Amino acid sequence: MDFYLQFGWGMMGMSRDLIRDWNGGTVILSPRDLEPKQLEPFSKSINTIENGRVLFDPQFYLPHSDHIRLRSHDYWPSAYSTGAFFVGPALDTLLSKLKHLNDELDSAAAILPGLLANEIDGDWLNIQNAILNAAKKANFSRPLCQTIALSADACRSEEQIVRLLEHSAQWKSEVYYLVCEHPRGSYLVTDSLWLSNLLDVIAGLKLLGSKVVVGYSNHQMLIAAAVKADAIASGTWMNVRAFPPEKFREALEEEERRKATWYYCPQGLSEYKLPMLDIAKKVGLLDQLLPVNMPIESAVALLFDGGQPSTVGLTEPQAFRHYLNCLKHQTGVSVKQTFDQTIEEHDRLLDEAEALLKTLTGSRIKGQLRDFSEAIEVNRSTLGALIATRGGVLRRRWSTI
Amino acid sequence: MQWVGTAFPDLTKLTPFNEGGQKWVFSAVHPSDGDVVLKIIHPNQDPEAARREILAVQQIKSSRVPEIFETGQVTTPVGVCVWIRERRVHGISLRERLQQGPLNAQEILRLCLHMLEPLVLAEQAHIVHRDVKPENIIVDPNGDFWLLDFGISRHLTMSPLTRASSPFGKFTLGYAPPEQLRNVQTDIDSRADLFALGVTIYEAAGARHPFLSGTADVAEIIKRVESLVLPPLLLNCKASASFRDLIGAMLQKRRDHRPGSAAEALDWITDVIEHETTAP
Repeated sequence: MDFYLQFGWGMMGMSRDLIRDWNGGTVILSPRDLEPKQLEPFSKSINTIENGRVLFDPQFYLPHSDHIRLRSHDYWPSAYSTGAFFVGPALDTLLSKLKHLNDELDSAAAILPGLLANEIDGDWLNIQNAILNAAKKANFSRPLCQTIALSADACRSEEQIVRLLEHSAQWKSEVYYLVCEHPRGSYLVTDSLWLSNLLDVIAGLKLLGSKVVVGYSNHQMLIAAAVKADAIASGTWMNVRAFPPEKFREALEEEERRKATWYYCPQGLSEYKLPMLDIAKKVGLLDQLLPVNMPIESAVALLFDGGQPSTVGLTEPQAFRHYLNCLKHQTGVSVKQTFDQTIEEHDRLLDEAEALLKTLTGSRIKGQLRDFSEAIEVNRSTLGALIATRGGVLRRRWSTI
Repeated sequence: MQWVGTAFPDLTKLTPFNEGGQKWVFSAVHPSDGDVVLKIIHPNQDPEAARREILAVQQIKSSRVPEIFETGQVTTPVGVCVWIRERRVHGISLRERLQQGPLNAQEILRLCLHMLEPLVLAEQAHIVHRDVKPENIIVDPNGDFWLLDFGISRHLTMSPLTRASSPFGKFTLGYAPPEQLRNVQTDIDSRADLFALGVTIYEAAGARHPFLSGTADVAEIIKRVESLVLPPLLLNCKASASFRDLIGAMLQKRRDHRPGSAAEALDWITDVIEHETTAP
């Protein structure tokens, strides 16, 4: 499974550095976070790195939105009316402008606009059809990547998921870009049904022969390896690690960003504020938070050098880089030769995290809302449901999907 | 029923064979076709259904489905009836065979292969059998299996004979998948037959019906079909794991969780059998 960078606020320099360090990679550009004039130069700076690629997400999830930055882009329609837009020339104009923009950015594939589905009903499916048909007419000179954006409620409904999968057999898109709102706005998902349905969608699309990129992901989505998702995308702030539809709705004041540096412990699948590392050091458990079998940067290594972690000066960007480096490594080793080996690998990850978190929790060391303890059983039960429903077919077709 | 002999003077040794709610069935000998079965459809049955049954067998052209030699209409004391004369396959029904005990692993694999072969041809002809069950399968003296009775088959390219507004479709309880039980006509395709075949195989391997055994009423059976997850079917053979997966997939409640087509299932069982015969 590949790892893409989901562009968010303050990620320009970091994206370039990481793509260079990784000897290539993909950045999903965000028009919400980039001014029109920034798009092309930034894209060029990524594309000129060897094996660097960009994708452009038009973020057309809520076209009624009044987001100033989104509206400032040339492709964004000046007037939008749900009924008329998708049956008239306005849709063709949108696709034509996006084709032009994708050409300018030299994107690796064209992510198509996709409305957020509050409910997967006939209207939403018809709009998806209309977008796809208009895109085919627009003659994009690159692969098309169809957006499927789901509300938390839509993703929780098995009936709606079945409708989506039945219908997607007609679309036959080469690539899908899947973004799903987390239930109750949570960062780590504790709703097994939501996670299980999400995996079911990915598996269904993969078994139809398509590629699937899961946008706005955090490390919990390492589980997508179990259905051989092609990539997950993540970024720095929480609002690019979970899909928050509200952020595309209106011109919000720049979000208040709480200044706290979180350290990601990959083997615990949890994040900790630096003062919590101080406590870990005090009770002799800090070494257990040191990443195992993966390279770390010197700024992170300093946390474990004997000093008090909160005083070694780990900055927020360094913590972000560490998170993204770890996730890049973890995605890279998540898919194995067979379905069973892949499941075993994720089970091993969960077992290891569980054992560590038990030890840490025993000493009252918790990652607050970023502690993975409650998510462990959610991931486990999701794997159980996957094995029961799709295990046989995935086992058989693993090498071909 | 003396009128039968009069109406079909070229048939000898006419012997009542079976009578269901929809037809009279006789065994007989035809001067050129040899041993045959004569089916006379009750006059109260929709002649269009009979026409479609005939069409299904003719379109599928499977060596695992008895060939139809001739069809026609005959006036009887109870009304005008459609009749079908087809090859008689000697043997016993799988239902009768199961009364002697479950099939062994090799017989189970063979049953699966032999049933998927005609179901693939049906799929190619856009036909769903809709009534795969032990009563509609014959095992001949060579141990080969034959699929019978396309009486409630659905031609996907033709308008359905069951009204879409009916809460339930045509089915045999315990074998039909949830979408067929609930008469979701747009959801009925070859994957419905895969479910019914999965149930048949599960039953044949254990000689007990996984959904019917021990149930008190129809509602409970429907509930089981729609929600009971069966334990994996484990055969005593080398390819047991892969076969377990195939049957597990065929028995999924949601059709999109089953193999994508009968053809995919046939490839799968072919690989299972190849593994069974070549693995050390």
